[in-house]
Amino acid sequence: MDRIVRLWRTMPRPARILLARSPLIVPQMLGVMLVTFVLVRLLPGDPALLMLGNMATPENIASLRQRLGLDRGIWEQFVRYVWNVLHGDLGISLFTSNPVSTDLMQRAPATLELISYAMILTVLIGVSVAVAAVVRKGGFIDILSRVYGLAAGAIPDFWVGLLLIYFLFYLGGIAPAPFGRLDAFIPPPGRITGFYTIDGLLTGNFAASWSALGRLVLPVLTLTIVNAGALMKMTKTTFADVYRSEFIRHQRASGLPERAITRSALRNSLPPIITMVGFLFGFLLGAAVLVETIFSWGGLGQYAVQAVINSDYPALQGFILVAAAFILIVYLVVDILYELADPRIQV
Amino acid sequence: MTETSVRNVLSQISKRPAAIIGLILLALQLLAIIFAPILATYSPVEADPINSLQPPSSDHWLGTDVSGMDVYSRIIFATRINLLISISAVAVAFVIGVPLGLLIGFYRGPVSSLAMRIFDFVQSFPVFVLGMALVSVMGQEIWNVAIVLAVLFIPMFARLIRAETLSLRERPFISAARCSGATDLSIMFRHVLPNALTPAIVQISISIGMAILLTAGLSFVGAGVRMPTPEWGLMVSAGAQQMILGIWWVSLFPGMAIVVSVLCFALLGDAAKDIMDPHTRNRR
Repeated sequence: MDRIVRLWRTMPRPARILLARSPLIVPQMLGVMLVTFVLVRLLPGDPALLMLGNMATPENIASLRQRLGLDRGIWEQFVRYVWNVLHGDLGISLFTSNPVSTDLMQRAPATLELISYAMILTVLIGVSVAVAAVVRKGGFIDILSRVYGLAAGAIPDFWVGLLLIYFLFYLGGIAPAPFGRLDAFIPPPGRITGFYTIDGLLTGNFAASWSALGRLVLPVLTLTIVNAGALMKMTKTTFADVYRSEFIRHQRASGLPERAITRSALRNSLPPIITMVGFLFGFLLGAAVLVETIFSWGGLGQYAVQAVINSDYPALQGFILVAAAFILIVYLVVDILYELADPRIQV
Repeated sequence: MTETSVRNVLSQISKRPAAIIGLILLALQLLAIIFAPILATYSPVEADPINSLQPPSSDHWLGTDVSGMDVYSRIIFATRINLLISISAVAVAFVIGVPLGLLIGFYRGPVSSLAMRIFDFVQSFPVFVLGMALVSVMGQEIWNVAIVLAVLFIPMFARLIRAETLSLRERPFISAARCSGATDLSIMFRHVLPNALTPAIVQISISIGMAILLTAGLSFVGAGVRMPTPEWGLMVSAGAQQMILGIWWVSLFPGMAIVVSVLCFALLGDAAKDIMDPHTRNRR
């Protein structure tokens, strides 16, 4: 026991944080599985009938009931479900007739590419506008940021997407057509990361990279316009508090250049910003559902919408499971980064 | 509320142009709700295929959609549906969430920390995704949308009340009440609750705005109310296909209605926060 304690103390701080945080994901994932399991059990009627649709014969239903284990106790069913999920079996989609896990894996990169670029742009715009507004209080950017902060929370993302299509594609002719991730005549690049922009570069298929980048402009802009507002407002509050604090005043009195002062104030407002960025991943995933529908993106979001419209419950169940797992992993990373960014926190 | 405090609130409001704009927008929406049949120029649900996709004109002020329904009349009638769903969802969430938060804040123990873990958990799901799944499982009815939104908002209210309760229950006046023989129930509802309500009341307005956005989003992807119900999100989605062809009026106007409505509740929420929270009031 003593040895373990001593070992723990000699470990570098990042390793301790990692070891202390990571195991939490196990009970959380069990909870997620319980929710997705219960969700389908909430359905009125026989899940087997719902899963097979109205065309099912009684024999089909009976055999599916047996395969799903519906004739057994509820806890046994849950254990079976967890077992299947752990082995990568999320069931068969009623609509595409593929295993749900295959469908999801195929579509995940499209959504991740969209969310990643949107996230980068959101952080860049949100944080820099907030910093500029605080540093030059009452200036043009400050006033602009107030109007934007108020408006951004009130604008529906799907409406912004449509307006951008109207102005930048139909009227302006600047943006490419809002149908999918690539121009029609360009074959997708070989799959390495699944991100078309990166795969195009890696395989030397620059045309595909360029086309994918063009197609990303409108959906990424949509997500950024709607989500940067919340991040900006939060950063502004935190950063303004730090910017007014004693140690910043002291730095200024000691004659540090403004750039260094801004940097150190930003460094000290980092932890809440990191938390907010974690939440933003959740928002972006939800918003991606809407934005993908508008831009025929073919990612997870559109898959989920199809699942809802077609009452494709295995697909919906799989999507929620994957979305929740993704969010939990993001929160875990955020927790770890938060503690890394703030050395005052005891591990 | 005494006369002086009413006058105090009124004077606080009159000093804030944002609050006045919020109240005017709210009044306009209430007018639209009450006088919808008079204000509307056409039936909100009757298709008129001959006049489909007409641009705005003196006949159809905001144009017509793909099945020839008048956009203006539908926007007016949709105010009823959108606000009905959002306000009732938030009301239910408030009525359930507040006592729940009071209970788990007042009695600390394994049950109350379990409740908090469940709230953490529900809130860790992306709201829109969870809402979409729940509505599709329960069936796409107006009331189901409201129930789902209420379920999603309960943790928010419970959490706010719990946080206030946790600090209030340690205060001397609670011990005083206990010494004078007050029961737990009367301490909770007579002494703790009135002092804990402020943040939750401020949250009401903001939540209504969020509920409007969520309802519209759910209907937009086809997981909310169904055609031909006049609902703003559904109306935007009815024009989504035509936007690429340059037919802008079908989606533009209902979207503006959403923005105005959400903005109204955001402004009112900000004003309520300023007026009810003495810290921000004195700083101005």
